[in-house]
Amino acid sequence: MLSHFLLMVLYALLVSVFFALLWRRGRREQVKLFLQIFLGMVGGGLLVAWLMYPFPSGPPAPIP
Amino acid sequence: MAESGSSSAPPSPALPTGNAAVAVLSAWLIPGMGHIYLKRRLRGLAFLALIVVAILIGCKLEGNLYTPVPGQPLTYLATLGSMGMGFPYFLLRYGLHYQGDIRGAGYEYGTAFLLTAGLMNWLLVLDAWDIVRGKKE
Repeated sequence: MLSHFLLMVLYALLVSVFFALLWRRGRREQVKLFLQIFLGMVGGGLLVAWLMYPFPSGPPAPIP
Repeated sequence: MAESGSSSAPPSPALPTGNAAVAVLSAWLIPGMGHIYLKRRLRGLAFLALIVVAILIGCKLEGNLYTPVPGQPLTYLATLGSMGMGFPYFLLRYGLHYQGDIRGAGYEYGTAFLLTAGLMNWLLVLDAWDIVRGKKE
């Protein structure tokens, strides 16, 4: 139903909206902080995933 | 005397409105309620919606709602963090007997959503405290 990526985007969306509303007052400032946090989280997640890709953690899990 | 003093004083940017204890307690019990009590209705409703959505997603994914586990000190911290969501924590734990399911595909994600909901509400409690003391708008 929900992919890892979609869940990560959803989580980043909730957190970035929350902090934009909490830490900034003006609409322009809020949008700016929202974009910084959201893109930082999603981009950072993708970067870490890309870096981890060549390093599998162990043998593949058995398929049930 | 008092009139001449007050006329030269600059207008206060943020007027604390309300009782600090009520603001903090209501902010903890119901997410966003502290801001609503302090006349920040739109922001309070937005915070309420965000935290409720995080809780619903966490429950839908069958994440863990932390409880203390003897011998595992980090579970005490995580429980404290989760309890930050206030009334919903106790409703889930004792009213609905919510457990979460470690076999669920979304267990880890759900746990992150539930813990984050609690931590976000702790930040709202601190924000309400700052507002009521006039340190923040």
